[in-house]
Amino acid sequence: MSVAAIRRRAFDLFKETGLPSTRHEDWKYTDISRIQHVLSIDSSSTAPIDNHASIINSTAIADLDAYKAVLVDGVFDDAHSNLPEDVTVLSLAAFLNDMGGQAPDDIQRLFEVRGDEPLFNGLLALNSAKASDGVLLCVANNTVLEKPLYIQHISTQTNFIRHAILMGKQAEAEVIEHYVGVSEEKALSSLSSNVILKQGARLQHIRIQQESNQQTHIARVEVKQLQDSSYTLHAVELGCALSRVDVVVALAEQGATCALNGLFVLGGRQHVDHHTRIDHIAPHCTSRENYRTVLDGRSRAVFNGKVVVHKGAVKTDSAQSNGNLLLSKHAEIDTKPELEIYNDDVKCAHGATVGQLDEQQLFYLRSRGISAVAAQELLTFAFADEVLTSMSNQQVRAYIEGIAFAKLPHGAELDGLLG
Amino acid sequence: MATNEQIQKQLAGQEYEAGFVTDIESETLPPGLNEDTIRHISSIKGEPDWMLDWRLAAYRHWLTMEEPTWAAVDYTPTDYQSISYYSAPKSKGDGPGSLDEVDPKLLETYEKLGIPLREQEFLAGVTNIAVDAVFDSVSVATTFKSKLTEAGVIFCPISEAIREHPELVKKYLGTVVPQQDNFFAALNCAVFTDGSFVYIPKGVRCPMELSTYFRINALNTGQFERTLIIADEGAYVSYLEGCTAPMRDENQLHAAVVELVLLDDAEIKYATVQNWYPGDENGVGGIYNFVTKRAECRGARSKVSWTQVETGSAITWKYPSCILKGDDSVGKFYSVAVTTHCQQADTGTKMIHLGKNTKSTIISKGISAGRAQQSYRGLVRMAKTAENARNYTQCDSLLLGDACAAHTFPYVEVKNSTASLEHEATTSKIGEDQLFYCQQRGLSEEDAVNMIVNGFCKDVFDVLPMEFAVEANRLIEISLEGSVG
Repeated sequence: MSVAAIRRRAFDLFKETGLPSTRHEDWKYTDISRIQHVLSIDSSSTAPIDNHASIINSTAIADLDAYKAVLVDGVFDDAHSNLPEDVTVLSLAAFLNDMGGQAPDDIQRLFEVRGDEPLFNGLLALNSAKASDGVLLCVANNTVLEKPLYIQHISTQTNFIRHAILMGKQAEAEVIEHYVGVSEEKALSSLSSNVILKQGARLQHIRIQQESNQQTHIARVEVKQLQDSSYTLHAVELGCALSRVDVVVALAEQGATCALNGLFVLGGRQHVDHHTRIDHIAPHCTSRENYRTVLDGRSRAVFNGKVVVHKGAVKTDSAQSNGNLLLSKHAEIDTKPELEIYNDDVKCAHGATVGQLDEQQLFYLRSRGISAVAAQELLTFAFADEVLTSMSNQQVRAYIEGIAFAKLPHGAELDGLLG
Repeated sequence: MATNEQIQKQLAGQEYEAGFVTDIESETLPPGLNEDTIRHISSIKGEPDWMLDWRLAAYRHWLTMEEPTWAAVDYTPTDYQSISYYSAPKSKGDGPGSLDEVDPKLLETYEKLGIPLREQEFLAGVTNIAVDAVFDSVSVATTFKSKLTEAGVIFCPISEAIREHPELVKKYLGTVVPQQDNFFAALNCAVFTDGSFVYIPKGVRCPMELSTYFRINALNTGQFERTLIIADEGAYVSYLEGCTAPMRDENQLHAAVVELVLLDDAEIKYATVQNWYPGDENGVGGIYNFVTKRAECRGARSKVSWTQVETGSAITWKYPSCILKGDDSVGKFYSVAVTTHCQQADTGTKMIHLGKNTKSTIISKGISAGRAQQSYRGLVRMAKTAENARNYTQCDSLLLGDACAAHTFPYVEVKNSTASLEHEATTSKIGEDQLFYCQQRGLSEEDAVNMIVNGFCKDVFDVLPMEFAVEANRLIEISLEGSVG
């Protein structure tokens, strides 16, 4: 079957299922009916943004020593990209074009959508049907990508993007996806990232969502891990009116390890929803999850972390923790850490907390002459920053810290305290 | 020395002790459900018109509802037209005036179950427990009535309360679990036949423990009981509930509703030992236990606790809940659920915090063995109004055997920034080092497992009334027998 046929079928599936509604258990707390009218806008008629070179430069993470792939409104921008020579990084659209529609099976499979897969929803099918472009990263066996790959997305209007990351045996790479919105128009960014890790492969994956306050961001990260592979995700949510990210990890062979870290720093009327699902299919796999949210204004966060331990997945080790800090009376958190276990030889735990800053810690800081406001800000920052401690890229970490800190109620005044 | 076969036999015999059938003449309505069935039940009970109208309204609403399918249980749905909605042991006159008039076969049944209805014999006077015994669709005896009346406590079958205390029933019935609440509750509202009614007046501390013992005996019937407990200002009561049924190859439906109302400073402790017939080791037969239990802390500083030990039933669908409306009210939920063979249980609790400074605690211990499926499903909701609300949740699962399953589905919804909540859950098997230690000290594997399981459940057993704690302990030992090794 050709890619085109797969995509036509996906579109039929979307027409059949439509957008998920709040009557659907997985969408109980997130209402996306507002994107209905966005979908009906024909984005091809809007003029492309002018002067995007300066926008690309001004929104990028400064001084990052990395390869760079730039997408502007869902189209790969060769001129502003800086790609490695020894490792394959391509525009997905260009690749398909070259193949004349007869792409290899591995690539075709990236477009397949089944109605019965975990966390399936109509938008996923629509993404497969409409994705205009994306980045295809293939790291060959025993190859290490020397510098991180920084994928910068600039969006001013609705766009559909599909990325693929294929890691060969013992391959290693770091990928940073950065989503920047510069438009104040209501628009949708629909993303899908497919990740496959072969035996012993290692991937550090960072996602920074920093789109504009009018935009909606709906994404899915799907990861398949083979033997002894290791996957680390840092998902950072800072922007958007509404953002929904589904992370689906399959630990398909022995010894695979995954770590999912999430940080939401929200204010205003922002709404962020992450659903994660980890399937322990093979024995001796490990999964770790650490999600933290800091909510101000009338923002609302939803976290659903599901771990499924299948029959036969003995010696599974899974731990999950979810901490939530409400800074405002009007903020809301809905969290649901789920465990589904079909096997007795496992060690699974999860914990969730909702609460305030520790009075004693506040007192300690104040007794050292730090003002109440500063003490609160520092502790709030420390609470959020815990998620980033496992990030090895210090430049990216500093960038996220800077943005997150500025989002705190008095953050801007206290910047100096961080040094 | 006993042969292996003998031991096997012994074990098989011990599996479900309450599985006998009492051969007693009974009056049973033909199977089927329509408005006439409801009118019939209502007229047998001699109910006033308002009660009948209330039932019919519930029935009409039920017809528009669909059986819920979201629980993690798999079963053959009940054919609601093929079961009988009323069965009662035949009595000579208008019902027994005193215990002497109760059919001796019935007394024997309860004695076999360890629930003596003769007041003077019970526990040699050490503790007094007043018992309301419900046999199929009717209450057959209530003990210690006069002593309770002295204290002003009303403890009687609910059908009697509808006749004798209509003002209380009218005021409270259906105010915690309304007719439209859910599929099984609506059905219960339409066809409930009996259950207990308790009213503790202002400032009264109930002088003894109250208890209801439910027994399903008749074939092909459903049991629909309804319990309503009202603790007026400053009142206190501790209430125990137990249940058993004969061993049968068919599935029988038990859809009960329990409503607790607490006014200012009131306290209710509600404990359940649920030991309905769980079906055999291949999952044939057993009770479908679809129960709605809810407490509403209407008054300030009221306290309610649900304690449950769940060992029986083929399918359990049960979420005892607390609505913490009054400021400073407290809700607690302690649960031990054991599922073995092919049992499936989807159980947990809901804590709805509405008032200021409300507190709730959830301790849930699940033990899953054989091919059993068990889920903890809970909700903690802190509304905008719940200033300084606190919750602590701990749900642990213990797995015995590689074919069983345990799931956790905790929902947490917090809309108030001063609220704080902690949730912890773990799932694991019995630690091999613990087992090894016990065995190395000379305990058999089975004893060691029992001991570890007991320790695992200790947090919950500690809050059970003494008599129940002993029974609960024994029940769990019996339930787990043969599931080790």
